[in-house]
Amino acid sequence: MATAAHSNPDILIDIQHVTYTHWNKSEPTLHDISLQIRRGTLNILVGPSGSGKSTLCDLFNGVIPHLNGGEFKGDVFVDGQNTRDVKVKDLSQLVGRVFQDPEIMFATLSVEDEIAFGPENLRLDIPTIQSIVNRLLDQMDLTSRRHNLVWNLSGGQVQKLGLACVLAMNPRMIVLDEPTSNLDPAATRDVHNLVLELRNNGITVLLVTRELDELLAEADQLLVMDNGRLLAAGPPRRMLREYGQMMIESLGVWLPETSEIGIRLLEAGILPGGEIPITVPETITALERAHLLVPVRPKHPTPDIELKSSAPPRGEVLISARNLRYVYPGGVEALKGIDLDIHAGEWLMILGRNGAGKSTLARMLVGLLTPQSDALTLFGRDARSWKVDELANHIALVFQNPEHQFLTDKVADEIGYSLLAQGITDDATIKARTDEMLEMLGLQDVADTHPFALSAGLKRRLGVATMLVGNPQVLVVDEPTYGQDQMMTHTLMARMQEIRERGVSVVMITHDMRLVEEYAERVVVMSEGEILYDGPSSGLFTRDEVLERANLRRTILHDLLGEMARRGMYLPADVRHTQDLLALLNVTQALE
Amino acid sequence: MSQSQHSLNYIEHDSPMHRVYPLVKLIWVLLVAIGLFFYRTPLSGAVMFGVILLTAMIFARVSLRNVLSSAKLIFGLGLLLMLFHFFADPGEPVYRLGPLTITDGGLREGPIFFFRLSVVVLASFVLIWTTHPRDLMVSLNKAGVPYRYAFAVFLAMRFLPLIQREVDAVKAAHSIRGRAGRSGLLHRFKLWQRYMFTVLINGLRKAESTAIAIECRGFGAYPDRTYMKPVEYQAGSLLLIVLFVVLQTGLIVAERVL
Repeated sequence: MATAAHSNPDILIDIQHVTYTHWNKSEPTLHDISLQIRRGTLNILVGPSGSGKSTLCDLFNGVIPHLNGGEFKGDVFVDGQNTRDVKVKDLSQLVGRVFQDPEIMFATLSVEDEIAFGPENLRLDIPTIQSIVNRLLDQMDLTSRRHNLVWNLSGGQVQKLGLACVLAMNPRMIVLDEPTSNLDPAATRDVHNLVLELRNNGITVLLVTRELDELLAEADQLLVMDNGRLLAAGPPRRMLREYGQMMIESLGVWLPETSEIGIRLLEAGILPGGEIPITVPETITALERAHLLVPVRPKHPTPDIELKSSAPPRGEVLISARNLRYVYPGGVEALKGIDLDIHAGEWLMILGRNGAGKSTLARMLVGLLTPQSDALTLFGRDARSWKVDELANHIALVFQNPEHQFLTDKVADEIGYSLLAQGITDDATIKARTDEMLEMLGLQDVADTHPFALSAGLKRRLGVATMLVGNPQVLVVDEPTYGQDQMMTHTLMARMQEIRERGVSVVMITHDMRLVEEYAERVVVMSEGEILYDGPSSGLFTRDEVLERANLRRTILHDLLGEMARRGMYLPADVRHTQDLLALLNVTQALE
Repeated sequence: MSQSQHSLNYIEHDSPMHRVYPLVKLIWVLLVAIGLFFYRTPLSGAVMFGVILLTAMIFARVSLRNVLSSAKLIFGLGLLLMLFHFFADPGEPVYRLGPLTITDGGLREGPIFFFRLSVVVLASFVLIWTTHPRDLMVSLNKAGVPYRYAFAVFLAMRFLPLIQREVDAVKAAHSIRGRAGRSGLLHRFKLWQRYMFTVLINGLRKAESTAIAIECRGFGAYPDRTYMKPVEYQAGSLLLIVLFVVLQTGLIVAERVL
């Protein structure tokens, strides 16, 4: 049996040639993985969906091999001890794991009881537990919520509570599995700040993510996984230089836009020093050195971003709300007087933090909630006169969890069901329309698969397919890109674009600011039941007070553009993507 | 929105019943239940019903509206049970309704069954309204029930709102799919099957992950554990038991003597 790298006390985690095959799979989920993690460092792990990131996390606290069956080869040393020889309860005090959905780790009813749960299991005495609980409540900014029920917390608070529960065990290392994938931008920054604070206090951190942002600049090691293998590991800047292009092009990892620009500059041979920038100032320096940051004359006569509010011609009004309110039976006022028109064929994005009223609005649009007055008109009729199944032929909603919508045992039948619901009973027509839809969304290979057995990305596509086949005039999609990697996101967005080109209005609920910047024509920002902003996305990015109230933030690209503008560059308003900027700077031409 | 609409939850405030030791309240519910099987006349059941209702309203400070909104379903079920006994029990016919006859036996037995059901349920509700589930678990553990088992009950309560939320989400998602059924009843049955399937699958997935997650938080590491909020037993709690034993014995004796 192998021994740990005892010689180096700096190493906290030493994984040697681990291959792991899940009990119900024939192919290994992890393939000959070897890696080391030094004490007190921040490590970031990226890789596409299904690359084995979560399974790798199971190695650190002994879930593999102690709790999950399957075939396990190789050795994992934590603090010099082989995990095979250490019990899970002892490992839990070395490595804490915050699960992807922290709610599943909660075992009690209230916030403070939840933090106390771990220390209680370790038989600590009452004063010690109380001081741990008070310290963590304070650190996580949850003191005012200490008596809250654990299921009445916001997404950000759930993550913080998960972190607190794990920290209560006083571990040397914490593993966070995609903690920010369902958080609004402000809550994401909060979690990132906490992570940095922990690292600076000497705790080793492994953060699994699909989306890299400025936090990467602070990381000590970047690990890249694909298909069960560790492709590479090393300091972030070196990794970006050597593997950046691959991460973008074949792994679909979201890199900061600044690094994307740097990687393209490197490709074009105009990145002196070869250091890929991560932060905005670093990018400005890189652009300066490449002599790209020169004040240029405007190509177009109207470069002012503010002026670009003249929206494209709009179709007829399909949905119209005037002073729309909604009060839940418990007395919570979810909508406080909203004015909104949705036109035929437009692409609308609705933004806002959890509890802003987005979902309430979406549910009213599809008839799941009945308005309490005549304030909402759907397709020319008072919303209260519509029945849910009648509305289904006009407007469709794709839920956040597409599994909830599935009704049959086969992908093809799922689409067939929607056709039946429209009153189409002719088998040949159903078959033809089903095949057409399967092909359109790339589902023909899984036509006979059980919907529940699909991957997350395919489930979502099927969710969209079942809704589209009904030929709705409006398609409402709730967080369609949640948990999707870059490639899947772009595929889904391309489908939405196609759908729109067929004249369907797309209403998308999201808090992914990059999507907003790249795709949105019209943005509606909601906060606490009110509409704060309704207009083009470019205008949104200049309204600090709106961004702040709605927990949103600019994209790094937008920050970069702002900084470039301050340095005297004229930038047309249609720069929405790194490619637009690169084209503007003539880097794209240099690449070709 | 995850606010549950029903009011069958622990109600956080202070009352004499809240202060009674949780295990004593549990034993009290059992005693009340056992007593019901010794009553021969509906009057004793009615007395118990009244006493427990007053206990809920005065000593547990639960409003009558709250009591009714939680218990209306059970009371309704009790009334149906009573009606069934009116017709089904043997005895002298008292009243004829077409082919059905109401018997004197049924008129006596019916209310007894109504009170059996509603008194037990009402007493259990008083336990739920006045006892934090955590405290009940701690007291069970202190009484010698291994904490792994005591916790099972507690975890079930933790899962209820999650399941409720899941059921609501699935229902909503299904309803907007439109209706493809040719036969209404068959369609409804299929939909119902599908709710169960989806909720069960997701429930099992969650339960499995939770089992692993809490083990990683040291659950079951040692045969015992400590509690941040201990629950102290006070002898005064026994007064509840004493009063009810006296009342119940009185009723049982009175029925047989008078």
